[in-house]
Amino acid sequence: MDNFNGIEPPMDTVGNIRVNNARIMCNNVFVHYSDKRAIDNLSLDIEAQKVTAFIGPSGCGKSTFLRCLNRMNDTIATCSVTGEILLDNQDIYAPEIDVVPLRARIGMVFQKANPFPKSIFDNVAYGPKIHGLAESKSHLENQVEEALRRAGLWEEVKDRLDQPGTGLSGGQQQRLCIARTIAVSPEIILMDEPCSALDPIATAKIEELIEELSEKYTIVIVTHSMQQAARVSHRTAYFHLGRLIEVGATKELFTSPHHKLTENYITGRFG
Amino acid sequence: MDVRTLIFLVGVIGLSFYFLGRYRIVTQSAQAVQRPHSLLHYYGLYPFFLAIIPSCFIIAIMQVADGFVLSILIEQYLPADIRGGDEFNKTITLSRIENIASGVIFGSPEDWLIAAANKWLIWSERAQLTTTILAISSSILLGSYAYMKVNPGFRSRNAVEQIILVMMMFCSGVAILTTIGIIFSVIFESLRFFALVSPMEFLMGLTWNPQFEGAERAGSGQEGLATYGSVPLFAGTFLISAIALTVAVPVGLMAAIYLSEYASPRIRATVKPLMEILAGIPTVVYGFFAALTVAPLVRGAGESIGLTVASESALAAGLVMGIMIIPFVSSLSDDVINAVPQSLRDAALGLGSTRSEMTKQVVLPAALPGIVASVLLAVSRAVGETMIVVMAAGLAANLSANPLDAVTTVTAQIVTILVGDQEFESAKTLSAFALALTLIVITLVLNLIALQIVKKYREQYD
Amino acid sequence: MTNTPDNAPKSAILSPQDAEARVRASMATRRNRETRFRMWGIAAIALSMCFLVTLFGTIMSKGIPGFFQYYVTLDVTLDRERLDPAGDLSDQSLFDGDARGLVRDALFSTLQVSGRSNRKAAGKLISLGSDERLRDYVRTHPEQLDSEQSLKFALDDDVDSFLRGFISRDTPESDRRINDKAIGFIDQLQEAGLISYEISDYLFFGSASRNAEMAGIKGAFIGSILTLAVCLSLAFPIGIASALYLEEFAPKNRLTEIIEININNLAAVPSVVFGILGLAIFINIFGLPRSIPLIGGMVLALMTLPTIIISSRAAIRAVPPSIRDGALGIGASKMQTTFHHVLPLALPGMLTGTIIGMAQALGETAPLLMIGMVAFIVDIPGSITDPGTVLPVQIFMWADFAERMFIQKTSSAIMVLLAFLVVMNSFAVWLRKKLERRW
Repeated sequence: MDNFNGIEPPMDTVGNIRVNNARIMCNNVFVHYSDKRAIDNLSLDIEAQKVTAFIGPSGCGKSTFLRCLNRMNDTIATCSVTGEILLDNQDIYAPEIDVVPLRARIGMVFQKANPFPKSIFDNVAYGPKIHGLAESKSHLENQVEEALRRAGLWEEVKDRLDQPGTGLSGGQQQRLCIARTIAVSPEIILMDEPCSALDPIATAKIEELIEELSEKYTIVIVTHSMQQAARVSHRTAYFHLGRLIEVGATKELFTSPHHKLTENYITGRFG
Repeated sequence: MDVRTLIFLVGVIGLSFYFLGRYRIVTQSAQAVQRPHSLLHYYGLYPFFLAIIPSCFIIAIMQVADGFVLSILIEQYLPADIRGGDEFNKTITLSRIENIASGVIFGSPEDWLIAAANKWLIWSERAQLTTTILAISSSILLGSYAYMKVNPGFRSRNAVEQIILVMMMFCSGVAILTTIGIIFSVIFESLRFFALVSPMEFLMGLTWNPQFEGAERAGSGQEGLATYGSVPLFAGTFLISAIALTVAVPVGLMAAIYLSEYASPRIRATVKPLMEILAGIPTVVYGFFAALTVAPLVRGAGESIGLTVASESALAAGLVMGIMIIPFVSSLSDDVINAVPQSLRDAALGLGSTRSEMTKQVVLPAALPGIVASVLLAVSRAVGETMIVVMAAGLAANLSANPLDAVTTVTAQIVTILVGDQEFESAKTLSAFALALTLIVITLVLNLIALQIVKKYREQYD
Repeated sequence: MTNTPDNAPKSAILSPQDAEARVRASMATRRNRETRFRMWGIAAIALSMCFLVTLFGTIMSKGIPGFFQYYVTLDVTLDRERLDPAGDLSDQSLFDGDARGLVRDALFSTLQVSGRSNRKAAGKLISLGSDERLRDYVRTHPEQLDSEQSLKFALDDDVDSFLRGFISRDTPESDRRINDKAIGFIDQLQEAGLISYEISDYLFFGSASRNAEMAGIKGAFIGSILTLAVCLSLAFPIGIASALYLEEFAPKNRLTEIIEININNLAAVPSVVFGILGLAIFINIFGLPRSIPLIGGMVLALMTLPTIIISSRAAIRAVPPSIRDGALGIGASKMQTTFHHVLPLALPGMLTGTIIGMAQALGETAPLLMIGMVAFIVDIPGSITDPGTVLPVQIFMWADFAERMFIQKTSSAIMVLLAFLVVMNSFAVWLRKKLERRW
């Protein structure tokens, strides 16, 4: 392992935590809920324009870590984060950082589809409206259309943009949430188990979408399904009890894991 | 025998049956070498309940009924002119007879009054005797019946549980009885009122001027002197409620928003109970505060900028009522705001909203039905509030939309009319019941709509 | 990165760089708006707290002085002949005696007044209740008859207000309630050090009176306790029985639904309507007497019943079904399960709800006005069928009196009422904490 910025990687992470084309660099991150440690000395790079998957048994801290990346953990009063998470060589937890532009750059899609109780159009237009991204009404309409197209939802909803977003099916709702995130023009999209509540057909559609999106966006996806990680991601990180156990190219990690815990998990001994 | 002794005696009989029943089952099951079906105390409880419950009902019914029956019986002793005369004179005469019977004599009553009072005494003694006999005999008879049924094969637990269940059903019926009581007490008198004053005049009339001293007693041909147009009262009620809500809704809502979206758990834990103190202060205290502190303050402030302010202005009463309703609005809104799922907040924050954007554009629209419901409940509360307006709003039935004028409200009029001695037959007294009827209808409708909205809203997020 | 080739159609969605620039540009106004919104929230809370402080401040600033009043110490000769002509210390004999004369003589000799008009002016300084006070003293200290004792008597309420500075010397004599002669006497007494400012015994042990200096809350306090006792003994068992029935036994049918809607609606009926119910049903139809705590308690019980039922049902619902299943599984009947297992677990919540209902009943005024508990009653009620009044109604009546001293006494009575409420509510909170169970 190379010396990287002079920071020692934690000893027990197997595999190369650093990449050449890193978009986010995390160094020695600890997360605590009150006194309980949720993430223990984690260092990891997120590669630009690639899909990184976090896998691991439930309660291993993968979602917690994902929520650190756009400071969604700020909403939990008892949660404290130490260490650095660098975006453009700037620590996103630095006091001068404003979370609003940060979250506009790093979008998030949640486990349970959570469209606003508004029309489909208003759901997608919400982000551009609050951030002032559209110059005119027609520009806004174009943005909504394009976001819906990129999310692969346009054809299904173009005739009923004024109907409530909550009336769509589960898979459509989740794609609506992705469109809503895309409309804000983020560089990075975080996805927290986006398919956990969906049926296999809807899941397949979303996975296809993730692959398309990875051409334009840096994507981090948390998933409880190893098959999904294997299908959509380029790089996979395996978490266990708040530690990053092993990280590596997806193919390699799934075919020849180096760490015993990873192997156990992948071969289905627990999880 | 007076009621207390009677109840005590019935209690003693009941207790003896309890022990008798238990003793009987112990000896019987020893002789029959059969295990009793239920636990021993159920064999005591069964005769106990049968001995006391019906007797208590008999006593209660007789207590209530005797005055009623007596006054009907005594009527034949009244001179023809009173018997045929109006209800009011009859009521007065009856209470004079009652007073004489209990030894309170003013002046020298006429002979027929004394004769009637003597009859009254005899009958009430008879009534008491009947009560005693009925209660004691039912207690002993039913107790013995239950006692005879006691044997090891008797399922006394089921019997006792049946009795308890019936009693519990009766208890939950009290709520219904209360509603029926309210409806009847208001509707009958209201109908009598509407026989004297047309409903159109009551609902549309612009002058409220009930005559005093019973000059307009029914049939005296003087009803024309009084006017019972309730519009000024409702206008006053809504003026004061509107002022109250102008204070309470923004303050209560903003406080609820701050507490649920911004405040740290520690601040929330301190401020919430403090706000609830405002809700726990008795209304009479608010009334005192309004009349003594706020009204002079409003008057002084108004006059210093050259406005004429009535000493009992709607503004003062409304402001204080608003303070009283703040915690009501804030705690109801707090509930509905907290019911908005966290996932919606996450979605808005995840897109980069500030907290205020999240609150204004996502949380509040989602919570809107619930907030509307809580405002409706606050309106119903303001409309029904009594003490503040009685003490601070005065009685002048002005039809005015100026908050600096003195106005009066429905509740204030009800209280003024019904407090103290009233003549039950006068249109003035009856008007209070008509006012109460409209008040009930308004608050009930508001409440039903609000509960319906809340129910729909809950279903949306459950 | 996302640079679109020049020949491709221009994307409506901005590039991340452009978007970021725009977001940053919008931040200044958005931050301002955020701060302003937050300020509104803080202002709303500050305003509520300010109301709370003002309310309590006003009541306390007027009420605390109301716990005190001015007394004058006089050397009274307890002449047996004049005080107790029959010599048996009976009420009648003491009443026939000349207690009033003795007090006045003591005052006159202290002030060394003579002449009818002077005596008249001096006599007005002392409370009208002084003779009763002297009789009470003799009843409890008969051994001191025929000796001279220094005794304290309350000063008249106008004198009291003068001493507190509410009546100014500078006002022209014709405009103030106390004349120059009286002021002279007061100065004389003050110079002799005979006037003292002490905790008012009348406030706590006196009953209703038109004379502000003699008025007290004892009668109303006892009336409140009797009324609450009736209310509690009716509302608690009925409320809990209905809650248990509706939650555990009631079949899910139309009737049950009607009862439930009914209870919710009753909770929203204005309290004054319950007063009308009491007036029309209990007094006019059942013919029960007015002004008695029994009816007051019955009306308040009907009023608090919905509160108790609703909170009791919530408490019952919070008992996990596993506990019922456990009891039913070992062969207990539904009734036994309910009374042996569900009720004890739900009881803390039920008690809390009941106490809150009782606190509400304690502060309620309007329905009691309707059933005549507003009458001027001097005697302290001894039972639930004696005419009486309650604290909030007493406050309402006193608030109507013009005398300066009544404003203080009203505020003091309010403080007593609030203290009473604070005790009840803290008890509810304590009970909830103490008996709270976690499953």
